[in-house]
Amino acid sequence: MSIVETKKLAYEYIRRDAEGNVEGITRAVDDVTMNIHQGEFVAILGANGSGKSTLAKHLNAIFYPTEGSVFVDGKDTKDESKLWDIRRTAGMVFQNPDNQIIGQVVEEDVGFGPENMGVPTKEIWERVEESLRIIDMLPFRKMSPMKLSGGQKQRVSIAGVLAMHPKCIILDEPTAMLDPLGRKEVIRAVTALNQVEKITIILITHYMEEVIGADRVIVMDKGQIVMSGTPKEVFSQIELLKELRLDVPDVTMLAYKLRQSGLPIPRGILTQEELISEIEKLKVAK
Amino acid sequence: MQLIVDHLSLQYNKGLSTEVKALDDVNLVINEGDFIGLLGHTGSGKSTLVQLLTALLEPTSGTIYFEGEDIFDKSYDRRKLRSKVGLVFQYPEHQLFEENVFEDVCFGPRNLGLDRKSVELRAYEALKKVGMPDELFYQSPFDMSGGQKRKAAIAGVLAMKPEILILDEPTAGLDPQGRDEILGLLRKMHDEDGITIILVSHSMEDVANYVNRIVVLDSGKLLYDDKPRAVFANYKKLEEIGLSAPKVTYVMDALRASGIEVPEDIITIDEAAQAIIKALS
Repeated sequence: MSIVETKKLAYEYIRRDAEGNVEGITRAVDDVTMNIHQGEFVAILGANGSGKSTLAKHLNAIFYPTEGSVFVDGKDTKDESKLWDIRRTAGMVFQNPDNQIIGQVVEEDVGFGPENMGVPTKEIWERVEESLRIIDMLPFRKMSPMKLSGGQKQRVSIAGVLAMHPKCIILDEPTAMLDPLGRKEVIRAVTALNQVEKITIILITHYMEEVIGADRVIVMDKGQIVMSGTPKEVFSQIELLKELRLDVPDVTMLAYKLRQSGLPIPRGILTQEELISEIEKLKVAK
Repeated sequence: MQLIVDHLSLQYNKGLSTEVKALDDVNLVINEGDFIGLLGHTGSGKSTLVQLLTALLEPTSGTIYFEGEDIFDKSYDRRKLRSKVGLVFQYPEHQLFEENVFEDVCFGPRNLGLDRKSVELRAYEALKKVGMPDELFYQSPFDMSGGQKRKAAIAGVLAMKPEILILDEPTAGLDPQGRDEILGLLRKMHDEDGITIILVSHSMEDVANYVNRIVVLDSGKLLYDDKPRAVFANYKKLEEIGLSAPKVTYVMDALRASGIEVPEDIITIDEAAQAIIKALS
């Protein structure tokens, strides 16, 4: 069953001068048709300006299509009467945690979403507790978000979305501003949401390592989907990715260099374990 | 040209119950020609140190000497420091404000009181240096891609002709190619123009590939100050403080554990590939 579906989606930014005359039109998303299934973990890669974020903003009705349509859980995002339903079904987490946290205390911040939805007080507190537990932040519930690290703040942002009981969470470069530990914490949390809670994850990132655990990787260029496949399939095409201003995980790059120098190592190695077992095989063969 | 950080401390809310030692007795000598990676988890004191180095904050105790002068001395003319030590903030493109890129880059040198010709020459050179295509010079910065904006913002600081350039996570939010371009630019400025560079970064891989010295801060204290190889050898300790070693260092570690003889101090992909080929031949 599909949770997010776009049909021939296009979006144009119109630039105007001071008098309001049109100076130019940028087609940021151009004819994107995709289907994301309930429970899937999809990563979206693409260079700066490739249209990733513009696409993401369509998935919970922040932007509306110039052409084509977007369906979230079967509801057309153009249907204004469904707006709150759509935002509740597909929650969004942005790059900078400081722009998303508004509460003075962690638990208040997390309760803000369900409170806005008119959830009864008792249930709000249940949802807050549940969300913080899932994201492993329960011990911090009484703290001021200002005292938290970047990774912890970003997990509070995720808990805030979680408290609205979404079926799908869209994360737009959630780790761009974090240190290595913070990045690890966030990716671990996101992976658990997908595997344990079965929540659909759409992760936009510039860190290739974070994509390894996804079910599917979509690569965008100039507003269009240019590659789509498992991480193994996508990261097997190093030259093409480089042309698209992207990269591959370090382990994949190391395996590629070994292969280039003549060692019989297969394409699309993603993890340390895979690489080591290949090297061990070569060692035994000697 | 030398920056000497001498017993530098900064406490926020001194004397209150909420007292925080943002920086705690840090000693450091930054020499001409250094390319330093400044590492530390969020809240380790990196930004505080950077703001002290540029005299945007005042220390609680200790001081910094630049070219032999105490920069926090009441009689010190801080313009001397600011014209030679350039700072590129995080997300510097948020500070672009002029109508076109060229004007934006002119802003700094114009403030130095130079005549129009020299201002424009400096702006031109700086934009050329960062690889900005000529046809974009008169574009509004707001119509440019993230990577281009970042380059324009860096050009604005370069036009001041700094001898020391400090950059706070200059690659955050850029795509991999954009990351390589910015880091390549820094290397070029270091190698060709002799600019001393301090790179604040959260990417161990970037740091391993580019810098020749790493300074690690933890809870406001200086933890390591050494060559990258020597610092990353302490990766277990680095993990305890929220950092890590480059990915390939872990791969090499696991290879050794499974009986394949590779050296212990490998930090880049190229080195790793060579070591594996050697171990298998």
